[in-house]
Amino acid sequence: MSENKPDIHIPEVIPELERGPLWLRELRRTSREAYNSTPIPARGLHLWRYTDPVKFVVDRSGAADTPYGDNYDDVEKVELNNLSEGHLSGLVSDFGGREIRFHGFEKLLADGIVVTTISEALEKYHSIVEEHLYQLVGSRSGKFEAMNGALWNDGIFIYIPDGKSVDKPIHLLREAGLAGSAQFPRTLVVVGRNAGLTLVDEYGGGTTEESAPGSYSNGAVEIFGQADSRTRYIMLQRQTQSTTSYLTHRARIDRGASMFTFALSFGGDTSKQNFGVILNGPGAESKMYGLLFGADYQHFDNHTLHHHAAGQTRSDIDFKVVLRDKALSAYTGLIKIDRQAKACEAYQENRNLLLNKGTRAETIPELEILNEDVMCSHGATIGPIDPMMVFYLQSRGVEYQQAMRMIVSGFVSDTLQQVPGDLQERITGFVNQRLEHL
Amino acid sequence: MKNRKALFGFKDLKVEVEGKEVVKGVSLEIAPGEIHAIMGPNGSGKSSLSNALMGHPGYEITSGEAYLSGENLLDMEADERSRAGLFLAFQYPLAIPGVTVANFLRAALKSHRGPDADMTDFRRLLKAEMKSLSIDESFATRYLNDGFSGGEKKRVEILQMSVLNPQVALLDETDSGLDIDALKTVADGINRYHSENNGILLVTHYQRLLNYVKPDYVHVMIGGRLVKSGGPELALKLEESGYDWVAEEVGQKAGV
Ligand SMILES: Nc1ncnc2c1ncn2[C@@H]1O[C@H](COP(=O)(O)OP(=O)(O)OP(=O)(O)O)[C@@H](O)[C@H]1O
Ligand SMILES: [Mg+2]
Repeated sequence: MSENKPDIHIPEVIPELERGPLWLRELRRTSREAYNSTPIPARGLHLWRYTDPVKFVVDRSGAADTPYGDNYDDVEKVELNNLSEGHLSGLVSDFGGREIRFHGFEKLLADGIVVTTISEALEKYHSIVEEHLYQLVGSRSGKFEAMNGALWNDGIFIYIPDGKSVDKPIHLLREAGLAGSAQFPRTLVVVGRNAGLTLVDEYGGGTTEESAPGSYSNGAVEIFGQADSRTRYIMLQRQTQSTTSYLTHRARIDRGASMFTFALSFGGDTSKQNFGVILNGPGAESKMYGLLFGADYQHFDNHTLHHHAAGQTRSDIDFKVVLRDKALSAYTGLIKIDRQAKACEAYQENRNLLLNKGTRAETIPELEILNEDVMCSHGATIGPIDPMMVFYLQSRGVEYQQAMRMIVSGFVSDTLQQVPGDLQERITGFVNQRLEHL
Repeated sequence: MKNRKALFGFKDLKVEVEGKEVVKGVSLEIAPGEIHAIMGPNGSGKSSLSNALMGHPGYEITSGEAYLSGENLLDMEADERSRAGLFLAFQYPLAIPGVTVANFLRAALKSHRGPDADMTDFRRLLKAEMKSLSIDESFATRYLNDGFSGGEKKRVEILQMSVLNPQVALLDETDSGLDIDALKTVADGINRYHSENNGILLVTHYQRLLNYVKPDYVHVMIGGRLVKSGGPELALKLEESGYDWVAEEVGQKAGV
């Protein structure tokens, strides 16, 4: 059925997107042309081996008015409550860029920190936006990255000036629309020299109707960490199981900067996510963690990239996958070390726990290491849950389902222990909420 | 025969592992307050019997019956057997990475007490039992059996028994791997647990545990069968002379 679905072109003029400075309109045009002229990737191509690219082709260009999901208010209420209790630095509600609301940023704004829409930033911080937007995720990144580049409506811009720090999370709620809707969330983050930011980027919502068409979301995130900055980015995917989701994340960090990325993938029907950090100056360090729980017929296809573009940089990835029912996960982890990038360290591990037959996990480590002066290791395991462990717990009275949950939480516990103390409760909370339904 | 109603027992029990019959029809009854010991050569089926009684998925009970307090155990899943009051201290306890001893025991105790039970006494209870068994407090937050020495694992098995306080405890070579002091500590733990109302079936190779935990009956298992029963003196004789004489005796009886 997918084979005869046509490639749908983006029309030349989408009036509501014809705005902003000339350079931006040019970049949109380039993206549109790149999308239109790039064929749907062949299934044999390495990053598309496990996922049908046709799923990401939609005929909803411009994403006209699409109301958001029923449970949005509840989700927002929880975060507003977190905000009022002082657990957050601010909350942003983003409805596909057509409407973006900001809550509780007065203090940060007074401190010179910028959290606003990209369209407003284009007026007030024009040069910062022009310097960074599309630099990491642009028309040449791939067909669907170009699609976001052509169709994003408005996005979120965060700028932390040099020396400032936002340690309590800024929480972004990106709400997918109802059935038949398409959203193209876009995010641009610039963390100045010796500045700090903690950002929770949550992709939620979507239709709960099981019949086609579902909801669609295609996001792009660009993060720049300037010298000696400290950025913590937590991605949370909690969309409904009728949502098709594509997300491309790229961060570039300079000399002495650190990046902590934690990707929690729980939701979505088909989710293709790509997280990448470019280590661009000596002393830069990136730690990336993934926790993925798949159930029912969920299909996850994740890529990670650690690109060592400078010497004396360090990267570490720990990506854990737990699958039950008929869920599938494909993980491709690329470590790339440039020729001139000497004395780098790069580690990567992907562990997969299968709770029953019928699940499927694939792990594809990729190394492109162009010099000898590196320390690098990668490892992967795929295995079923040990029935002897389940029996041990059961023999002490613990019911089967709970025994499974305990073993799963044991499996992920060392990853959770890597979470910085102030984020422990929040991230563990997200995980436990998911585990309750496992 | 016994006057009192049996607390726990099994009859004509046969167990297969990987399609091979390793327990070939055994029967036993334990009345409240009794301690029974099973001894027997390596590979005679002692662990297979214990595991099968607990509901281990690798050990299939092909015929026979087993009951506890009048309830049919064989209809139950392992967790139900546990909640019905059965406990097995494993010969080779498994490590469960990422699950701490405290969380494990809390979940276990909660499953016994029910979902709405008050668990406020748990920490105190755990601390007291750990102290009695000379288990360092730090073990509460260690992952269950993960990197534990052989003796530490056995001690933690007895800790689990003490916390859960089962009706019947099957102890499969809980004495093996223990140093002399630990043996005494563990034996004290077993004796503290033991009462007029519960029963113990312990599997051992050595008299030394039986010096502390005094069995009422000793049974000999050879080749998947319980071939001989006696009082505590039988254990002493076995320790002295091994199993050959029993095998011979049984062989003669069977006319081999
Ligand atoms: N999981 C298993 N897979 C294959 N064979 C098994 C398994 N468990 C037990 N057996 C076999 O069943 C027989 C009985 O083993 P069992 O462990 O019950 O003996 P045991 O009396 O407990 O011995 P020991 O005193 O050495 O602990 C042995 O021949 C053993 O090899
Ligand atoms: Mg044994």
